Amino acid sequence: MESWLNRVYLFTVLHHSNTPFLNGFIAKALLLMVDLVLKFVGIARSAGLRIATSEVLDCLNQMQLVDIAEEPQFAAVLRANFAKSRREQRHFDRLYQMFFHELRQDASIVNSEPLAQQVRDILQALAPVPKDHPNMQTVLDFIDGNPLPYFERLQQIGIGPDDLNRGPGANLGAVTQRLEIMLALNAVEQALEQFLVDHREQIDWEMRRDLKALFKSRLDSARRLLTHERQTYTDSTDKSVPYRQRLDHLGEIHFASLTQKEVAAMREVIEQLVRKLKDTISRRYAQQKRGVLDIKKTLRRAAGYQGIPMQLYYRHRPLRKSKIVALCDVSGSVWSAARFMLNMLYSLQECFTRVQSFVFVAGLDEVTHVFEDFEINQAIEKILKEADIEYNAATDYGLTFRQFKYRHMDMLNKKTTLIIIGDGRTNYGNPEARILDEMHQRSRRLIWLNPETPYFWFTGDSEMRTYMEYCDEVRPCQNLNQLLEFIEALVL
Amino acid sequence: MGNRIKKFKNVDHVAAALKSADYICSKTIATVVFLAQATLKPVLVEGPAGVGKTELSKAVARSLGRELIRLQCYEGLDETKALYEWEYAKQLLYTQMVKEKIDDVVSGARSLAEAVDRIAEQEDAFFSERFIQPRPLLKAISSSQPVVLLVDEVDKSDPEFEAFLLEVLSDFQVSIPELGTRTARNIPFVFLTSNDSRDMSDALKRRCIHLYIDYPDRDLEMKIVRLKIPGIRTTLAGRLIDAIHKIRDLDLKKKPCVSETLDWAQSLLALQIEDLSPEVVRDTLNVILKYQADVDQVQAKLEKIIN
Repeated sequence: MESWLNRVYLFTVLHHSNTPFLNGFIAKALLLMVDLVLKFVGIARSAGLRIATSEVLDCLNQMQLVDIAEEPQFAAVLRANFAKSRREQRHFDRLYQMFFHELRQDASIVNSEPLAQQVRDILQALAPVPKDHPNMQTVLDFIDGNPLPYFERLQQIGIGPDDLNRGPGANLGAVTQRLEIMLALNAVEQALEQFLVDHREQIDWEMRRDLKALFKSRLDSARRLLTHERQTYTDSTDKSVPYRQRLDHLGEIHFASLTQKEVAAMREVIEQLVRKLKDTISRRYAQQKRGVLDIKKTLRRAAGYQGIPMQLYYRHRPLRKSKIVALCDVSGSVWSAARFMLNMLYSLQECFTRVQSFVFVAGLDEVTHVFEDFEINQAIEKILKEADIEYNAATDYGLTFRQFKYRHMDMLNKKTTLIIIGDGRTNYGNPEARILDEMHQRSRRLIWLNPETPYFWFTGDSEMRTYMEYCDEVRPCQNLNQLLEFIEALVL
Repeated sequence: MGNRIKKFKNVDHVAAALKSADYICSKTIATVVFLAQATLKPVLVEGPAGVGKTELSKAVARSLGRELIRLQCYEGLDETKALYEWEYAKQLLYTQMVKEKIDDVVSGARSLAEAVDRIAEQEDAFFSERFIQPRPLLKAISSSQPVVLLVDEVDKSDPEFEAFLLEVLSDFQVSIPELGTRTARNIPFVFLTSNDSRDMSDALKRRCIHLYIDYPDRDLEMKIVRLKIPGIRTTLAGRLIDAIHKIRDLDLKKKPCVSETLDWAQSLLALQIEDLSPEVVRDTLNVILKYQADVDQVQAKLEKIIN
């Protein structure tokens, strides 16, 4: 690298010295500089960085403004123009290191004319051999200081930068292709060694040593590129990518079959989803402020100011926030679905005027205060341990409804959305559908979420058919995607 | 030449000027700032929270003696909040005033056409400079002195606003339908900061010079601590920074950033602590870590971090 920078430095000095007879020389030097950058751009592009022509032009223009003999400045110019996101940053650094350090580090040796000649001769001597093998030619080119074909090859098999969309099926092909390149590298290495041994007489000792060192360093860097594992960058700046992936993964899993780890992951996903939903909602509120002018109302209100419309009114209906009352069956499998729904409901609390929640198995307990006093996840744990209900009892919807009627019926009014989450399995007890009807009459909407597969809804002791009559909406709620759909429909 | 505009002369000058404005920067930052000034392009600054993205623009404003105009982005930010708005209330008062004066203007006119002509001769004040209320972007563009414009957390804004911003930043002019096009008298020094909560469009990126600020390396952070907290002993600062760097290597929810290093140093100084021991770290961890889970994790590995 030193030699290269020295060269650049020399040119810069000459450039400033303004000696007329050197002008031609300077022009040539600048061309070299441009050539170097363009070469790097070529490599970076074939390695997967997207660099627009305008960016290259910008970069070259900016080169004239800084002292390129000082490497941090030179690198900063390239980085500022070519690596325009966090993801590309690391990839760029690797390429930069490779191009300007590893490949150039021996430039001084190569530039001493006899050695360069020697390298060329050797590579030419080897060239006819690998005609049947395209990989070998790319490797030879790489050693010759022309890494472009090699990069393109790596890019083809997906070792380059982030191509996250690679399906799992594509993996095997990549492995075999990688192996082929590995073999080509070994073959070239052997051929070169053989060549040096064979031509012991013609090449003197020092030259052989230099050649050996040169070949070794370049083969090493080729290998490093090949085996390079894409580094994952997990810091606070990177949130967007894994979340979508995780949602895709978790979205279809049945609530009941989530592992402990997945539950934790689920929480994070829910957190992000809720944040997004809130954004959408707040934007809807913002949107509400615009709209058509309500002339009648504006004039009516203007009367108070002697007919001057001091305040404008728009023709929009204020959004109606609803009150939520949630009844959650916490027996067995239903609980896993209920907890996530409660989690989301309480995360979205400000979208409703009030959220009140009850848990029941046989008999019912209000848990609203637990959610008000504790953080959501803590609250959920707490309810499981401390709520005043018999967890081991057989589920009794009839009893639950009766208790609700006597204690809490006044909660329901025309602004209330009542959500019941349960499988509707009454253990052949009295379903008390009349009370449910009454609850339905009193509230604005009654939505029943059933975490069972719809196929089983009407079998055995399930009273879904009876209850369904009194519900405005019945939805299956088995996995995150279905739950999400419901929550979106509820708040939007 | 009293009103000469202050400018950076070269990269080293940038570094020195920023240092005198209490901001210590790496060579990369200095180079990018210098380039941005030379090419009049906006700088898109990315990086983890708390590494001094916003502070950089403030330091540039300080060192150039320019006013800093800040536009904080959020979901739903629109043109009326970013560019300009009419002062409706004042306009209404104006119409009242005109109502009273209109007789003076048209009195003596012989025909309706003449009356209309006379009114047309008057100044068109209703939509004029008087009643326009400039918001940050218009302020930055119409300022007679060059300014530094900071568009903070641009990733929080909607894609539509980003497109609008792109238009403003590409030719530094805005059009106000009632008044015509306003072109910048002095092109402002623009910084956009982003926390990567979404990817910015390629078009915007292409217009900008990209700068990624990472957590500083040991030497740089040392310089920053020494600058901001002059009273601290070198040995203590060194130990502290070593610990912070080790903590950053852990898998934490929120890694401690530069400002937290400074807070920590400040609190150690306030507690008159001379050397970093595991007990001291345990007692003061809450200064640098913001999640209980993180605190627990660090406490479990305390011995490793201190030695």
